[in-house]
Amino acid sequence: MKTSLLLAVAAWACLVSGIQAQQTLRIRGSDTLGAKLVPQLAEQFKLSHGRQLSFDIAAEGSSTAFTNLASDTADIGMSSRRIKAEETRFCESKGIVLREMEIAWDLIVIVVNEDNPVTNLTRQQVRQIFTGEIRDWSELEGKPGRVSAYTRNTSSGAYKDFMSLALGDLEYGTRTQKMAGNEQIAAEVGANVNGVGYVGYAYADAKGVRIVSIDGVLPVPAMVNSYAFSRPTYLYTRGEPAGMVKAFMDYINTPAGDVIVSSCGFVPKSKVR
Amino acid sequence: MSPASQQPSSRPLGPLLLRKKGSSLFGITRASLVRRFFSAMASVAIIVLVLIMVFLLRDGAGFLSTYRASLDVYRKSGMELCDLLEQPVREMQDKSTSLLRHALAHELATLTGEAKQRRDAVVVLIGKVQAMSAPERTALEAVLTASSPLELLTDPRDQLRQATSRAAMSIPIPSVLSSGEAEQLRRELATLTPERTEPLPMLTALEAEFATQDTAARAQFAPLSAAVIACEQAPAALYETLVPLHKHARNTKELAQKRLSSRDQPEVHFPDQLKPILDARETLLTRLDDYGSRLKQAQAALPAETRSEEAAELLAQVRELLPEQAVQTAGIREKVLEWDGMHTVSMFHAALGFCFGPHWITNSPWQDFYGVVPLLTGSVLISVIALLIATPLSIAAAVYTSQFASDREKEYIKPVIEFIQAIPSIVLGFIGIALLGDLIKSVSHWPLLAWLPGFPIEERLNMFNAGCLLALMAVPTMFSLAEDALNSVPQSYAAASEALGATKLQTVFRVIVPAALSGILAGILLGLGRVIGETMVVLLVAGNRIAIPDFGDGLGVVFQPAHTLTGIIAQELGEVSRGSGHWQALFMVGILLFIISLVVNWCARAFARRLETPKS
Repeated sequence: MKTSLLLAVAAWACLVSGIQAQQTLRIRGSDTLGAKLVPQLAEQFKLSHGRQLSFDIAAEGSSTAFTNLASDTADIGMSSRRIKAEETRFCESKGIVLREMEIAWDLIVIVVNEDNPVTNLTRQQVRQIFTGEIRDWSELEGKPGRVSAYTRNTSSGAYKDFMSLALGDLEYGTRTQKMAGNEQIAAEVGANVNGVGYVGYAYADAKGVRIVSIDGVLPVPAMVNSYAFSRPTYLYTRGEPAGMVKAFMDYINTPAGDVIVSSCGFVPKSKVR
Repeated sequence: MSPASQQPSSRPLGPLLLRKKGSSLFGITRASLVRRFFSAMASVAIIVLVLIMVFLLRDGAGFLSTYRASLDVYRKSGMELCDLLEQPVREMQDKSTSLLRHALAHELATLTGEAKQRRDAVVVLIGKVQAMSAPERTALEAVLTASSPLELLTDPRDQLRQATSRAAMSIPIPSVLSSGEAEQLRRELATLTPERTEPLPMLTALEAEFATQDTAARAQFAPLSAAVIACEQAPAALYETLVPLHKHARNTKELAQKRLSSRDQPEVHFPDQLKPILDARETLLTRLDDYGSRLKQAQAALPAETRSEEAAELLAQVRELLPEQAVQTAGIREKVLEWDGMHTVSMFHAALGFCFGPHWITNSPWQDFYGVVPLLTGSVLISVIALLIATPLSIAAAVYTSQFASDREKEYIKPVIEFIQAIPSIVLGFIGIALLGDLIKSVSHWPLLAWLPGFPIEERLNMFNAGCLLALMAVPTMFSLAEDALNSVPQSYAAASEALGATKLQTVFRVIVPAALSGILAGILLGLGRVIGETMVVLLVAGNRIAIPDFGDGLGVVFQPAHTLTGIIAQELGEVSRGSGHWQALFMVGILLFIISLVVNWCARAFARRLETPKS
């Protein structure tokens, strides 16, 4: 009796797992996209498609998208920056041509601690802070204290985009601290009264931080065209996307996808000039 | 007498193997089979170790030649010359302009300080009230974006109004505002709604007050202001001359890299490419001299008298810097004149650059530098802090447990301390971020402890935080080894000491502990080896600043953030492409760690052997 019951359960389990032909979509890359936006898009996509589909999303920085696509450990790569020439060359040397699709626009927001009275910075001041020229808040008409600048680390797309948008391709200052993700930067700036850092717009409402306007322009989605640090984000695939990959990427451009993009704090491509 | 021994020709294998000792199969007895099995297990361990070393060396060995080639292109494209000029100038500029701006801020504060504090207080309070009513605000925005009919909007709007007035009533207002002003401010803060576009009247008033005082102050301190601007703009001409040279050098580097990646690309003739840069040398030197004289002028224009003491101190520092800067400029001039673009970079130079380079810069649009000194100092300092905390704790615990504790106490203490080893390091990392960082920070703000170097600290993630957690990890190792060493001191020592009339304390500290010293030292060194190799904790908690810590703070340097050898490998390995220079550099760092661990363990064994007590 017992053995036959066990056998029946085992047989049922095998049958069920056999029927569910799971297709897994592996997505690797940017922390800006992969922490909130892409998981939410994946969830909604799964709901609207009855097929058994599972998503495997790991967000360790935009640079990991290209290394994973090249070694075929990812189907889709998320990147918050454009691919570099040497990365294209590297992929071509492996016989892979990557196709790029622009999805949402992100605003890189400068945040300070909520106890910091500075509300506006010029582009030059932002450059001076993150290259280490400005060392004390009194130079910016804030409360005296040593500036603690938090940045992302070298695997991040935001790191490189910020370097070209805000620093004019100068190197970051040696005293900056390299954090692993947006949440960490927001947490540290919230806890350090002298802290300043940059995060994606979706993370700007963290506890204890306040956003700063750049040259008088507040970083809100309505101002995406005039804000100094807005940048497009991309998805990359190996060759032309097909099957489930294509369906997912098409879903992102639909109005339903736009709603999710806006709710995550990004600006849908349709709203950008 | 077994039946099998009477029929030697058809002996089955089973009883053969189970035969008593003395019999052999192909010359292998059962005892030697067991011996060979165990020696094979031991050699597997040695073989794995050798394979690890080979694997590390294979991937890291190419590094020196790759780095040498990269530095060679860096020199031959002229990028080195640009950096020779630009880097020291930028460093000097950053230091002196920062001091000057700081001094100007102090001077302005003497006249506008109070008005500024009042305005800043109101700005901060507005932000805080908005943050406190944020949940209701987002609810209202959600309803608005969903374009609901007007009736549905009234409820969220009411909620927001109530939340804002609650926040306005409860928020503490600093004493820079008088009580009457505080009342008025509370009333105005309660009217903050998203539809309100004009700023609060109080803020406008305070802004106006500050603005008038500020213009008056700036007019009064105009000479200092002008000197600051002159100093900031002094190198402008030099930077301008460098811009086209930068582009040209970067272009040359790209051509060289293209040639490296495929032989079809045209070969790069470096002397031709260098020509424009070498021709510009004279102009650059003229600009450099010009920069030097402009600096002198700007600093001669500094006012002799200042209103505030801090400004006077800062200006004195700036004046002290002037002769140093003149010497540095002369040094730059010499280096630029002697610079030879076609002198090939040697392997030795590349190796020196790795071992003693002060910059670890990767993924740079300009040039990557792989110098381990910042990472090495971070690792060493954190290990030293961890050892300093762990050694007294573990040795004291070991001495107590082995010499003074009762048996029942031993039953509790030993397992609990050794259980600490079972805590996963990532959990300790979490504790460091979530608990320890805030704890250290709030303790450092106590007025009682303000005399300690480096206090009060603002950074939660620093070397001391990492050192504490690593000390916790090292304690079980050190404790076990020290306790074993103390327990293995022969009883005859203690007996003889007591026979000679020593008290228990004297016996312990003058006879037993010195006798066990070799084991204790070995334990400390093994703890050090454990601590140097720890990755997760330092990656999460040490602050990740890739710079040599500033030893000018004295002992306060332990409260600065830093990066470590292990942390940099963990942080950067995800993004490197196999076989690239960066990949090889990370493997070289791994080799360095391996060597350090080997040396530490070898020292531990050498100590243990040298100080061994003669076994009676």
